[in-house]
Amino acid sequence: MRKYGKLLYNWSDGNIEESLIFNDDAQLGDIPYDVAIVGAGVVGSALAYKLSKYKLKILLLDKNYDVGEGTSKGNSAIIHTGFDAPVDTLESELVTKASMEWPELAKKLKIPFEVCGALVVAIDEEQEKQLEKVYAKGLKNGVTDIKILSSEEAKKLEPNITDDVLGGILIPRESIADPFATSIAFSEVSLSNGVDIILGVEITAVENPDEKTKTLVTDCGNRITTKIIVNVGGLGSEKLAKLYNGEQFDTNPRRGQFLIFDKFSRPAINHILLPIPTVTTKGVLVVPTIFGNLIAGPTAEDYSHDNKLVADTTTEQLQLLLEGASKLYPKLKEQPVISIFSGVRSNCSQGSYWIRCNDNHPGILTVAGIRSTGFTSSPSLAQHLIDELHDKIGLNLEVNHEAIDSRSEDKWPGWWKRRYDDEKFVKENPEYGKVVCYCEQITRGDVIQHLDSPLKPRTLDSIKRRTRAQMGRCQGFDCMVNIAEIISDHCEVPLDKISKRGPGSEIAQSLTSNYSDEAKNELN
Amino acid sequence: MNSTKHFSVVIIGAGPAGVGAALKLYKSGIKSIAIIERNDKIGGIPSFYKRKKGGVRTFMRWSRGGYPVFGQDYAAWLGKQILKTDVEVKLESQVLEIDAKGKMLTFVNSKEGKVNLSADAIIRACGSREETPAERKWIAGARPVKVFFTKQILNLVDRNNLLPMKKPLIIGSDIIAYAAAAKLKAAGASDSTIVDNRTSPKAPFYERLYFRFWGNPQYRGFDVKSLEITGVKSATGVNLNGTHIDCDGIVICGELIPNSELALIGNLKVNIPSRIPVINKNYQLSESGWFAAGNILGGFHGAEWCYYDGKKVADYVLKYISKS
Repeated sequence: MRKYGKLLYNWSDGNIEESLIFNDDAQLGDIPYDVAIVGAGVVGSALAYKLSKYKLKILLLDKNYDVGEGTSKGNSAIIHTGFDAPVDTLESELVTKASMEWPELAKKLKIPFEVCGALVVAIDEEQEKQLEKVYAKGLKNGVTDIKILSSEEAKKLEPNITDDVLGGILIPRESIADPFATSIAFSEVSLSNGVDIILGVEITAVENPDEKTKTLVTDCGNRITTKIIVNVGGLGSEKLAKLYNGEQFDTNPRRGQFLIFDKFSRPAINHILLPIPTVTTKGVLVVPTIFGNLIAGPTAEDYSHDNKLVADTTTEQLQLLLEGASKLYPKLKEQPVISIFSGVRSNCSQGSYWIRCNDNHPGILTVAGIRSTGFTSSPSLAQHLIDELHDKIGLNLEVNHEAIDSRSEDKWPGWWKRRYDDEKFVKENPEYGKVVCYCEQITRGDVIQHLDSPLKPRTLDSIKRRTRAQMGRCQGFDCMVNIAEIISDHCEVPLDKISKRGPGSEIAQSLTSNYSDEAKNELN
Repeated sequence: MNSTKHFSVVIIGAGPAGVGAALKLYKSGIKSIAIIERNDKIGGIPSFYKRKKGGVRTFMRWSRGGYPVFGQDYAAWLGKQILKTDVEVKLESQVLEIDAKGKMLTFVNSKEGKVNLSADAIIRACGSREETPAERKWIAGARPVKVFFTKQILNLVDRNNLLPMKKPLIIGSDIIAYAAAAKLKAAGASDSTIVDNRTSPKAPFYERLYFRFWGNPQYRGFDVKSLEITGVKSATGVNLNGTHIDCDGIVICGELIPNSELALIGNLKVNIPSRIPVINKNYQLSESGWFAAGNILGGFHGAEWCYYDGKKVADYVLKYISKS
């Protein structure tokens, strides 16, 4: 019999159902975990997913109130082939490997995924000279299906790109996917395979790091015992490593701002458009998203950890983005921007994919500097980490034949496979005919389905990432309060306790004081 | 789902403009009319301004001598007029697709699932919404909770009796902004600070004067290119020209932009970035038999103006139907 893992939230009473509240470490049982994964971003959840097929007691935890809510939530959502990755590095090896795995993985996990291809565009003679180099690098990275295009061929493939195009490279297998569904799918399968998940907890101390059984102390005062600690904390990895005195490394958040264009802009561009990359960044890309928008970005701005402005957007940078992106697709300037967002990548001074096994202590694995390619590489990186855990830490891997590795057909998000397109869904459940998010045409049924999904998302943002409600052109103008009301009704939580991202981000604070419903209709 | 029901006129939107058009058409002898409305009641935006003891009356009945009423009451009056007719109203029904050339559309609701309709003429009376921060181009910064649109404030304060903030900051300075400040004050918040990137407020003096009954918001105009919202979890203020203004909640008001999605889905021509549909002098859109009425045509007009605009467009629809 497959046993479900426990799902617990560090959330005070009244904001969530009592059965989901983490208030006592006794809820986790008295046997120590084999592996505790700190950080439920795309890497942490991928590791939990791949480890969950073995007979192990695993814990996945995160300080946010949903999985994938840190670095993993803001990126270009490209599944790279690795054609331009630094040659002969672990990053390149893992990205190339993962890109082969993705089409099958997306199908199994019901992650919306599309192979759209990418086009590197050279717009001046200097850049044209670089094309050969980029091509050679692609071949070295094992991406053998790339092709150099003449300006006519490039223009034929993408009629709306700039007339200045002098040539290009086509990378047919570059793909796009739903970045939110990825961490969610990994975590949901992990949970069904018995992995325990705790959300909303921060680790404040690591005790006995040299002992066989170590103790993680949480900000809510609970103590969790585990034999192995895997630190995949993304931007929080440095802080966590200091708690156990791991080898010194320095990370900092690198902000990347993006513009999101209205869906009506999407048909103009079919491929991911890439400029010739420079030393520091890949430049400003124009990317079709799986959701049907176009995005342009990112910027690359380095910040320090204590700078609170790191997740902000700025009008100057966004103007620069628009300038940059319109060099590839000039008409982009006329397209309506519906939203702007900034993602934060974890930049590690010691290098990307900085992995330390038995990091100053036996049984501690530190993973840092997983930059934007982490979304693509997550499945192969997870496998790499499992190999490390087995080879260098001696984790015993006995396959559990009852474990599953996929999600069922009904897990396709409603925006991807519309329930109301099939008459029987609305007949069985009329909620699937009640549209609440007008822009993305998301129904009340979709929202409720996700509220009942295994990770029991309870915040507005976690519902937004799952359903796309509030992500359309009106940005929640019409539906935000309606969605909050659905969460409140369905989960029996007062409306003023509904939050955007957990405690401290509630949408209202109190009842109105001098207002009442008593007035009479004076118009007849 | 496979059969297509035919009407003489289909109206998308049961706000003042849609209802005005339906009533005029009905009284002129058109008996087969359907209104498709995505909200659960007739009345459009006015229906969100609820009747409250101690609340703010925001809708002027100029046609009755100019006295102020609650939006909800005006919406109820519109609903009552429709009930006297045989106009078929589909509530909580969302139009999903339109076929502009074929004058057909598909909508979905919980009772019928997906339904196809065709018509001799179709009026888009879909109204407008407030521009998002990105659309306004000068608002950037953090994305914390408690950055609301006016409609969300209406839903929280009027529909749920919840006060979202105690020290409001309002971005935008038209009549919607002043009405929002009055509403929040009436519901228990302090006087709002109203900021805009113009030196004097957009709302004229006499409009501001009306709302002085409820409070005295402070206007701070800036000649600025950008404003940055601050706050990690919850909004704490805005930065303007190096000045930080504190608050515990932000309302982004006014600057209406037409609801253009259906036109864009069906390839009816729309001006970008204003999103105002392209119309000819007969209020016809870029495809024959399609019309538009009310605030979807741009600008900002009160409920009664839209109601009479609907009636005016109905006249053009009548002419069009009688010709074909």
